[in-house]
Amino acid sequence: MGLFSESVDVICTDVGQPQEIQWKGTRYVVINEPLRWYERRQWWVEESRAPLGSGAGLVDHEIWRVQLHRPQDEEQPGPTITLDLVRHLASGRWRLLRIHDAAPAQAVEPDEAA
Amino acid sequence: MSFTHLHVSTAFSAHYGVSWPDELAQSAAADGATALACTDRDGLYGTIKHLKACMDAGIDPIIGVDLAIFDDDGDHRTQVAGRVVVLAHGNNNGAGYRALCRLISDAHARTSGKAGGVVPVAVTRAELASRTLDTQTLKPVLTVLIGPDSDVGRAMGGRKYLRPRTLFKQWIDAMPPGTIVAEAVSHLSAPGEPLSTAHAVRMLKLALEYNVPAILSNAVRYCAQDGAPTADVLDSARTLKSLPELSSTPLLQPTGLLQPTGQGWLKNAQQMLQLGKEIMGAAGQGAAGLNKLLSNTEALADKCRIDPVLDMGWKKPVVPEASIIGIERDPMVELTQRCEAGITRRFPGINGNAEIQMRSRLQHELGIIDKLGFASYFLTVAEVSRMIIEMGVRVAARGSGASSLVNYLIDISQVDPIRHDLIFERFLSGRRSTLPDIDIDVESAERHNVYRKIFERFGAERVTLMSMQNGYRARGAVRDAGMALGMDDGEIGEIAKQLWRFSARKFREALVEKPELREFAGRVEAGREGPGGMEENQQLDLLVDLTERLDRLPRHISMHPCGVILGDATLLDRTPVQPSGLGLPMSQFDKHDMDPMGMLKLDVLGVRMQSAMAFAVREVIRLHPSKAEVVAAGHHPVEAGGTGPDYIAPDGRIDLNAVPFDDEPTYELIRSTHTLGCFQIESPGQRELIGKMAPREFNDLIIDISLFRPGPMKSDMVRPFLEHRHGFAPEVYPHPDLKPVLQETHGVTVFHEQILKTFHVMTGCGLDRADEFRRALGDELHEPEVERYFRREAIKRYSPDVVDKVWGTLKAFGSFGFCKAHGAAFAVPTYQSAWLKAHHPEAFLAGLWEHDPGMYPKRLLVAEARRLGIPILPLDINRSQAEYRVERIQEGQNSGKLGIRLSLNGIYGLSGAELKRIVAGQPYDSLADLRSRARVSKPNIKRLAQLGAFDALHRDAGGTANRADLVQHLQALQGSPSKKGSGVIEGQLSLPLGDVELRNLAAGLPEPSMVENVRAELDLMAVDVSEHLMESHRPLLDKLGVTTADKLLGLRNGTEVLVAGVRIATQTPPMRGGRRVVFISIDDGTGCVDTVFFHEAQEESGPLLFGTRLLLIRGTTRRTGPKGISLSASKAWDLSRPETLPYAEVLPPGVGLPPEFTHSGPLEGISRNLAITGLGS
Repeated sequence: MGLFSESVDVICTDVGQPQEIQWKGTRYVVINEPLRWYERRQWWVEESRAPLGSGAGLVDHEIWRVQLHRPQDEEQPGPTITLDLVRHLASGRWRLLRIHDAAPAQAVEPDEAA
Repeated sequence: MSFTHLHVSTAFSAHYGVSWPDELAQSAAADGATALACTDRDGLYGTIKHLKACMDAGIDPIIGVDLAIFDDDGDHRTQVAGRVVVLAHGNNNGAGYRALCRLISDAHARTSGKAGGVVPVAVTRAELASRTLDTQTLKPVLTVLIGPDSDVGRAMGGRKYLRPRTLFKQWIDAMPPGTIVAEAVSHLSAPGEPLSTAHAVRMLKLALEYNVPAILSNAVRYCAQDGAPTADVLDSARTLKSLPELSSTPLLQPTGLLQPTGQGWLKNAQQMLQLGKEIMGAAGQGAAGLNKLLSNTEALADKCRIDPVLDMGWKKPVVPEASIIGIERDPMVELTQRCEAGITRRFPGINGNAEIQMRSRLQHELGIIDKLGFASYFLTVAEVSRMIIEMGVRVAARGSGASSLVNYLIDISQVDPIRHDLIFERFLSGRRSTLPDIDIDVESAERHNVYRKIFERFGAERVTLMSMQNGYRARGAVRDAGMALGMDDGEIGEIAKQLWRFSARKFREALVEKPELREFAGRVEAGREGPGGMEENQQLDLLVDLTERLDRLPRHISMHPCGVILGDATLLDRTPVQPSGLGLPMSQFDKHDMDPMGMLKLDVLGVRMQSAMAFAVREVIRLHPSKAEVVAAGHHPVEAGGTGPDYIAPDGRIDLNAVPFDDEPTYELIRSTHTLGCFQIESPGQRELIGKMAPREFNDLIIDISLFRPGPMKSDMVRPFLEHRHGFAPEVYPHPDLKPVLQETHGVTVFHEQILKTFHVMTGCGLDRADEFRRALGDELHEPEVERYFRREAIKRYSPDVVDKVWGTLKAFGSFGFCKAHGAAFAVPTYQSAWLKAHHPEAFLAGLWEHDPGMYPKRLLVAEARRLGIPILPLDINRSQAEYRVERIQEGQNSGKLGIRLSLNGIYGLSGAELKRIVAGQPYDSLADLRSRARVSKPNIKRLAQLGAFDALHRDAGGTANRADLVQHLQALQGSPSKKGSGVIEGQLSLPLGDVELRNLAAGLPEPSMVENVRAELDLMAVDVSEHLMESHRPLLDKLGVTTADKLLGLRNGTEVLVAGVRIATQTPPMRGGRRVVFISIDDGTGCVDTVFFHEAQEESGPLLFGTRLLLIRGTTRRTGPKGISLSASKAWDLSRPETLPYAEVLPPGVGLPPEFTHSGPLEGISRNLAITGLGS
């Protein structure tokens, strides 16, 4: 799918959270607790088989929203970037889903209006 | 730690849940859970299976329901505001379970019980509140889970906090204290979406704010992640929208149409702990909060653990109170006395040894019944039986109940078990504690009246109908899978048509094996080649996978065709009920739930043949209203100086049950194999067997029916039996002791009863234990034990050779022999129907047409009348009734004969009300008269004209026009507006002018051809009346040298022939060796040709095997007996596409084609497959 054409390399913690990523030849580290959720896939378009016993990952994939900076920024705070990464559950491969504006993303739960 | 799932849908949540109760229970137990809930949607459909699954897995069952709640502020009849889970508390002597049952029945009480009803299954909050407290103790017995799909949960989308808070407050105010908890669920969907962690957090905060306990669940729909795609397909089937449509619909309804993620599986305790941590983390709460959440969950689980015995009456039989059937004294005394009374009726003048034998049998049976405490059960069944007889409805017991002398004496059964040597232990023994099955056959047309009468007699609180689960089979599965994928309806229909009786689970396997799927398999293959392949085929691989996923999943429940549950006044505390299509309440439990729940189920089966026979008897008396006339018409035997047999009453009424089983003309008819329409012996295979066996007496019929079963056929018992019977081979007995046991079947073991006796004779084990041994045969687990016992005991008296040989027989035949009592019960209507066909064929065929009892399409039975030379009288607006009628022909070449007049019932488009008005207003002197008095719609008047219903009227009017002119005239009228008030004005006499309209009709068109007339008949009535539909193909068939059915019998074995006809039956019985054999029978107007397609011929014929209606078949004759011949096919072609026939191959040399060889015949353009050929479309 066109949306996540770009492959990224991700190093995870013991409990499976992204810790470091390699993107466009640069190494970044995750600075905040990343946010994780699942999103549906159009599996009936993307897949050609769905036999019984095919296991996890047909219907949804795992999305991680990570806030990153380069390791050298620790000395002197530089710009942080926020990315949504997708992990394909069956293959374990990571791809880039979206790049967010420079403004740091907070929890996205919409807030009470009044 | 362990975690208890309190919100779990099983596969019995139709079009919602994915996994079976035993998978879920096993999986929970394997993870260390000590309990598991089953909360199916709308009912307890999976509850009893869940109970059993939990007991097998060694965990405690928890039961509940997932129910919709009416919107308090909306229209109470139609608007619902979300769903909640309601759990029953346990260990309170069933108080929780009772409340749950009643609550669910409340939820269904307003629904129509019909598909597409507008009233949803739901309760009001007030109803729910009133059920949560026990009516006596006023203590809470139910707990309601307010979760993500409740009105509260659904209001959490968007940015408002006030709305969910208001709704939650309403729940707190409406429900008794201590009956609600908040249910936190996260399926880890995107922040802000339904089933996200953020929503779970909001639910927790609400609970905290109002001091309501919160619990954690995973709203489970499948056992493991792998079930998620199946759930998607079920969502599509439930909403009738394709997945592409569903996924493009914005998620307006929270948790509405399509699951937001695939996370609704039975997560293990570790994963649930992690999930809880995540939610609590997001809520800003620490370990204490998490502990509280989990301990709340476990505390609720503990409160809801169900004791199957104490709470639900597991396996405890309950029958109606004796007082309800008018018995004041001890039921056992009453039963004994009724049996005594039966002796004088059933065995008048019995004495000597016969009496001693009979009485000792009776003592034996009564002793067992007494020991089991089942006397009131027998009295109840007797009461139902008596009630049906009093209604004047034909009734017969079927099945092993015929093995009981008690049943015979109290009029439940019509078969004398002593005379037919039937064994009581096959029916009931002291070693079985479950209620035995007694099956009662009644006239199908009276079945619903019988049900109503039972409700009336026992009271609505003690009776309910049993339901049945309808699961996905291959065709339905491929349709719904195709719809989910958004495939074209027509394309799916074409694929579905080729799926023939295999389970959906084996679709991919079938693609490889089955010739009729070869083309489809090719397309699947083509689609697999990816972007370069055929684009429209790319989904087919997925279609196969999804079809397999749907296999067997329940789709809906419906009324079981015969089960009626009888209980005492507490029945509705023990099963939830919902309206059936019939209007009577139906239990949510199916036949598998009866024994576990100790429910007494009576099988009251509507048998069309019983209706057909009752109809025939009524026609006979109507046509011949005196004994003398009936005796003359039916050629019944008259002894010198007598008036004819006693079973014919002076007014001509025939008492079928009193006809002796020794009528020679009846056996002659049976031996002729012209048994179409006769009960149990009309199928192609049975006609072949009858031809070989040539039955001479009633016991032969019992044996015939028992032999024609999958087991005996498969294990080749038939051939040795026939060889011994005809004396081609000497009878062999393994030991002289077994001769009395096996003599009636010439040394071949056919009946269950013989197996029981063999065990008993050789081991002295007693017949009751013998029946247990029989049940264990074929059971991998228990058979070895039985073998050890048999060998150990038998060797004491018999030689090792004999023991080996007999054990071989028992092992091979024991598991699928047939119960002789069944055979005997079946043989009665078999004999009776053949008797009617032999003596009163017109009345019998009229009964068959009216009630359509057999395996064949009705048109074949019309063809049978034609073959028998019985005139088929056309539809006539003044003579046809709402049913088929036998008529004495007044004029013409058949004058004086009896013919059958077609019925106005069953004409396409004609409504029941129109039919009633037509019949009430007969006769009519004109079309105008018909229009004004019967108010028949214009299209239906035209249809009646097409069928020739006005031909006689037209003739009488003296017009010169023909049927085609009339149809054209009526067609033209359809376009013009109706004139109002054309009826006769009150008080004004209409002049007897005859039909001016018909008389003045202009003649112009040619008379419709025979083919056109037959096509109209097939189209509107699914029957070819004017001539056989094959007639018009005759010129081509003659050129091809096709042999007709009536000529086949004269041919030598092994002659190669071509035959042609319309399909009437297709069967793929299980076969020895496992290779599929397809039997196709066709009708060519002179009789039936039964053909068999073995593997090679199936390969040759491919897709023609199942889809085609008109067949040209090449094959060689196989003689099966003195009166039997069939065809071993080598290849088939589609005769309805004559241009595609390989003339070079099939046309005899030097013969040219007839001029109109491309003629497609009367079936062309007619889509009513099912009624015409028995093929589903």
